[in-house]
Amino acid sequence: MVRRVVITGAGVISSLGDSPENLHSALCEGRTGLRPIKLFSTEGLGCHLGGEVASFSAKTYLGEKNFRPLDRTSQLVAATAEMALDRSGWSVEMRGQHEVGLALGTMFCSVHTISQFDQRALVAGPAYASPMDFSNTVLNAAAGQTAIWHNLRGVNSTIAAGSASGLQAIIYATELIRSGRSQAILAGGADELCFESFYGFNRAELLCGSNHSPGDFPIPFDKRRNGFALGEGAALLVLEDAELAAERGASVLAEISGQGGGFDPSRATDSGKSIAAIARSIRLALNDAHVTPDEIGCVSMSANGSVPTDRNEAAAVAALFGERANAIPVTAIKSMLGETLGASGAMQVITLLEAMRDGAVPGISQLDEVEDNFPLRNASPDTQELDLSSGLINSVGFDGGCCSIVLSRCE
Amino acid sequence: MQPAVVVTGIGTVTSIGIGREPFWDSLLSGLCGIGDVESFDTSSYCVHRGAEVKDFRSEAFVSKLDRNCIGRASQFAIAAARLALADANLDMKTLDFERVGVTIGTTSGEPQMIERFDDAAVSGALKSVGPEFMRFYPCHVIAAHVASELDIEGVNVTIPTACAAGNYAIAHAFDVLRAGRVDLMLAGGSDSFSRITYTGFARLGAIAPEVCQPFDRNRKGMVPGEGAGILVLEPLERAVRRQARIYAEVVGYGLSCDAHHMTAAHPFGAARAMEKALSESRIEPEQVSYISAHGTGTPTNDRIETLAVKRVFKDAAYRTPISSIKSMLGHSMGAASAIEAAVCALAIFHGRVPPTINLEEPDPECDLDYVPNCARELDVNVAMNNAYAFGGNNASLILRKIEA
Repeated sequence: MVRRVVITGAGVISSLGDSPENLHSALCEGRTGLRPIKLFSTEGLGCHLGGEVASFSAKTYLGEKNFRPLDRTSQLVAATAEMALDRSGWSVEMRGQHEVGLALGTMFCSVHTISQFDQRALVAGPAYASPMDFSNTVLNAAAGQTAIWHNLRGVNSTIAAGSASGLQAIIYATELIRSGRSQAILAGGADELCFESFYGFNRAELLCGSNHSPGDFPIPFDKRRNGFALGEGAALLVLEDAELAAERGASVLAEISGQGGGFDPSRATDSGKSIAAIARSIRLALNDAHVTPDEIGCVSMSANGSVPTDRNEAAAVAALFGERANAIPVTAIKSMLGETLGASGAMQVITLLEAMRDGAVPGISQLDEVEDNFPLRNASPDTQELDLSSGLINSVGFDGGCCSIVLSRCE
Repeated sequence: MQPAVVVTGIGTVTSIGIGREPFWDSLLSGLCGIGDVESFDTSSYCVHRGAEVKDFRSEAFVSKLDRNCIGRASQFAIAAARLALADANLDMKTLDFERVGVTIGTTSGEPQMIERFDDAAVSGALKSVGPEFMRFYPCHVIAAHVASELDIEGVNVTIPTACAAGNYAIAHAFDVLRAGRVDLMLAGGSDSFSRITYTGFARLGAIAPEVCQPFDRNRKGMVPGEGAGILVLEPLERAVRRQARIYAEVVGYGLSCDAHHMTAAHPFGAARAMEKALSESRIEPEQVSYISAHGTGTPTNDRIETLAVKRVFKDAAYRTPISSIKSMLGHSMGAASAIEAAVCALAIFHGRVPPTINLEEPDPECDLDYVPNCARELDVNVAMNNAYAFGGNNASLILRKIEA
């Protein structure tokens, strides 16, 4: 008897809003969170655009407390966890009696904290490095700090799979609940926008404008696209054994009914292999959910404006959906949020949860003209009205990893 | 009925031996891999000892990827994976690569990549940092590099849960196998010697000045190390069908979080991980023949760990041999618990357990049987592998002998 996994709460802090409702309405209005970066100087770099969570302050969400032990990534996660726990009804008292876990996807946790710690030791000498900062240099720092903050004594895992980390963490948590090891897990991901990762992506010519092409066009599937914009944020879901959720009378937002993942050993250097890996992930997720492509109401694409990756993902979706590729509604929220790395997968889930609730699926903002022979003809900048009962969510890394889940409305 | 999962291949890269046999021989003879740190200048530090892997030749293992580009942790992981596959005597042609996966635990990922970035930044030469930083730094590249080198197309996850990461990776592989999503997993941990980690532990005053002496009354701390350990895991039925050598069965695990303090362990969390592992495996504490300790050698860890074992095992704690191989190979971070899981499998297979070396003077607060200084013959039916980490992450894994 396989246990069913449902979502009973969600929290998000993004450049476009700090609740699922705010984020969703901004996305449906086609607003963008991408602006010139203020967190650090981008002088001399090809790209200046980013999706910053402007004026984030942890005390807005967590009250007047001592935040010094937590770096920005940890603060984003702890604040988002508060929102998700509160909305799912997992009160402080209940967490005292019952173990709640945390599966956090992240690409860097905080490469800024790591780098600052090291640079201080280099400049001032190792005796001047901060022991408090050291505890935040471990890649599971945000998960550990959030567990302390919210008394999460269950499984505590940090999952790394590049920009697919967040969806991979959701899959990891789903597996733990299905096997009966855990009953309730906060799952999702986070990454902060910082100079170190921005500089690295810029040097790797993955950002819009960083490869000497004119203009900034981080627009998924658009002919003009020239790389992604880096974003930031945190997004977490409360995943729960369906029986426990029913027992405690929790409101159920949707079910995670299928999951799949794969890896392309060419690490996206061979588009045939890349497409095959993405298609396999989708197929595994559909099979796991016992649904056919015809039963999927909408696809939330991982596409972020990267030239080859967007094309490969579209080809994989088209291969799976066959003739319906022309008609399947697709959305790509990174057009407005940028690539939020570890947070992105859970943000995509939250957008579909909201779409199931209010029947609006955001368009692909600023999408003007798709490239030649683009197979997903229903991609459009306009928000669509849809009665959505199930959706597919893809997360595709830039270097080989990919995964997918199927989300289904619970009647 | 979920399939039983067994260990059929072991690959280790450590400061006391590369490959299963040299490593196991060194462990039983009590060899110490600790020496003066060579990978960076420690003259401005108050401590100078480390357990580095000295004679590692990446060219012997890395053939498809460019070994000059990928980081040291990836090189170690690839080497351990190849050693494990060879040890498992697998005919690669019989594998469906879509149904083979990789899970790797790590503390620091590829720290040398960010250290180079920092060297450049403080000397005003940031422009010298090229695209290689983003391509080879993020920690998920370790599992990705292993899969890419070996053409593996299934589940691919890196689990950076600090010093317990190896156990987390093995635990996840165990679940993926039991769910029937794959036929075979390469699971373990890898970490390379890191200036950042060394600086941090030095500032915490946690590094021993000379030797690592877990559970000794005069223990002065841990010694940072490096290495990798990877296991080949597969369903029992498959292993029997291909007449594989089976080291042991993985029967269960327990994970918990202290939710107490980032760096100071709490005995309740450690005990809960052990209890969960025992309960899932349907094993009573009296049935455990051997415990591989986290045993870092810091005054606090060893005391708290002893307390936690007593809390779970009660009187049986005094009758259960428990040893720390970190006395010999230092603390290889995210790799440590994967290497220790390999040790549990080998202890079961060979009927011998490795010692805790440098244990001269008993500590009244650490009064269990730590297998002092000499390896011991012991019929190991059930072994428990404990690991604890920053962030309050605890993981206990249980392995058992397969009845012939």
